[in-house]
Amino acid sequence: MNWKDRQNPDGGWAYSRGCSWTEPTALVLLAQSVTGFEESSEPGLNYIRSAARPDGGWRPQSGVDESTWVTSLAALLPADTLGGDRYESAIGWLKGQTGRESGWSYRLRQRLAGNRDDFPEGWPWFPGAAAWVVPTSLGILAFERARRHSGDAELRTRINAGRRFLLSKICADGGWNYGTNRVLGRDGDSYPETTGIALLALHGAPASAALARARAAAARHLSRCRTAEGTAWLRMGLRAHGEKAEYDLTPVLRTNTDAALSIIAAAERNPFLT
Amino acid sequence: MTNLTRRQAVATGLAGAALTRCARPPRRFPVTDVSVVKASSYGPAVYDIIGRLLTEHRLDLRGRRVVLKPNLVEFDEHTCINTHPVVVHAAYEAFRKAGASVRIAEGPGHRRGTLDLADAAGYFSAVPRFDELFTDLNTDAVSKRDIPSPESKLTSLYLPHTVLDCDLLVSLAKMKTHHWAGATLAMKNLFGLVPGGVYGWPKNVLHWAGIPESIVDLHRLFPRQFAIVDGIVGMEGNGPIQGTPKTAGVLVAGSDVAAVDATCCRIMGIDPRRIEYLKIARGEENLGESAFRQIGEPIRSVKTDFALMDAWSGIRDSNARGSGEAPSG
Repeated sequence: MNWKDRQNPDGGWAYSRGCSWTEPTALVLLAQSVTGFEESSEPGLNYIRSAARPDGGWRPQSGVDESTWVTSLAALLPADTLGGDRYESAIGWLKGQTGRESGWSYRLRQRLAGNRDDFPEGWPWFPGAAAWVVPTSLGILAFERARRHSGDAELRTRINAGRRFLLSKICADGGWNYGTNRVLGRDGDSYPETTGIALLALHGAPASAALARARAAAARHLSRCRTAEGTAWLRMGLRAHGEKAEYDLTPVLRTNTDAALSIIAAAERNPFLT
Repeated sequence: MTNLTRRQAVATGLAGAALTRCARPPRRFPVTDVSVVKASSYGPAVYDIIGRLLTEHRLDLRGRRVVLKPNLVEFDEHTCINTHPVVVHAAYEAFRKAGASVRIAEGPGHRRGTLDLADAAGYFSAVPRFDELFTDLNTDAVSKRDIPSPESKLTSLYLPHTVLDCDLLVSLAKMKTHHWAGATLAMKNLFGLVPGGVYGWPKNVLHWAGIPESIVDLHRLFPRQFAIVDGIVGMEGNGPIQGTPKTAGVLVAGSDVAAVDATCCRIMGIDPRRIEYLKIARGEENLGESAFRQIGEPIRSVKTDFALMDAWSGIRDSNARGSGEAPSG
């Protein structure tokens, strides 16, 4: 992959074309972390460093003055490439983020309305919103990485809560969608990309019937998935659970994120897990 | 200084709020044109119809930057979730022939792979050079815009440059029921302007800020709009994704987007005065049939009741029941 030709002058990468964003830039750098850093890596890392905000989080794009879920992706880059302080700041910012439904006022209102649900703490896409499957999965993976270098008990607590969140969002077909598994009493269908990433985030979770059904759902999705993003996350998710991840359809690589995720999914070492 | 007890303070506040509401002068809107045109299928006639609609509404398009915003939601080539690709292409050709510079743009809220979604929906095959003409609003460059006098809890939103810079935003919506909003039409379609790259998938900040109120806030941020609603085959029941196809056989269009939506509601057998975002946008008193000038087919000739989820049975237009049968072409 010629990343240099696709790189913007500011060192970052676009999703497909146009301005640089933190997500595709971080995914390209994660792909390069398994194929070997190259000429485009340092400008890319500079772009990522410049996207760090004073509150410890990361902005998704230079035009945005908010830290968002992409902070998890920054925290999944090799810590030494970010700089120790920035890495610690990212983990600190992520500790402060939970889905709005986990807050005391929402829980109290739900209790008063007779809802006894647990509302485990996941991560939102954007501060102040509810937790969803993708940012929670990436939050778990970032905290798993941090826990290898730290005895911080809070990391373990949030990882466990995040896993409970994911398990509470399983769809009736065994997989995951973005997090709405039932609406007005009707079941929602799962999607390939979200099933794959949730399965990857649950790689260390205790074996259960729910996980077995999730693996089966992932295998079903992989057999007919036509998107590069979906195929890549499904391969990573299944392999993280010791499953074969064979597929027949070769998806089109439409974006830089497609290309980066496909490289990561094909690598021996998964940078989301090591 | 007067010392109020907490109960007195609450009572005073409530009374003040009630008086403020009562004191609000009734809003008045100009009577605008809404076109209702029969279209029995997604055949070549759609191209003629949309061309005629632009002429009928006397849009000044020469040299204008126009953005067509279809409703692109979910993968499934066999269902009717998305604005039909023929409607998108016909609109593209009509606006281009009228002298506009046209882009197609969308930021789906349910799926991240926008180009995969557009391909599965048939847009690549129906629209030549689609890849060059299309902007993914989820990943476009963004700028922050304040929301003056917001109805929702939002005070500002990051929005994509492609739509902020256009001269005319065209909501190419699909006629569908919606499990959170009652009906999704041209106004609700604007949720796709909000960038997922900033707010995520779905754009959950809008839900917490209030769905009907956010619909109205977004609508007001774009004063230069035109709407074309694809009701040739719409969706009834558990929309906007899991419902069932419903043939209504119409295209509905106009520059007054709330008026277009209210007309679509009537065609669907829904009382627009019971759709919260329309009430907020115009007030119940401005949603009656006489509030708009209907061009083309009278509503009664195309009205066909869309099935509603039990939770939404209260929005049924009880005054004039439709046949429940699809109209003939």
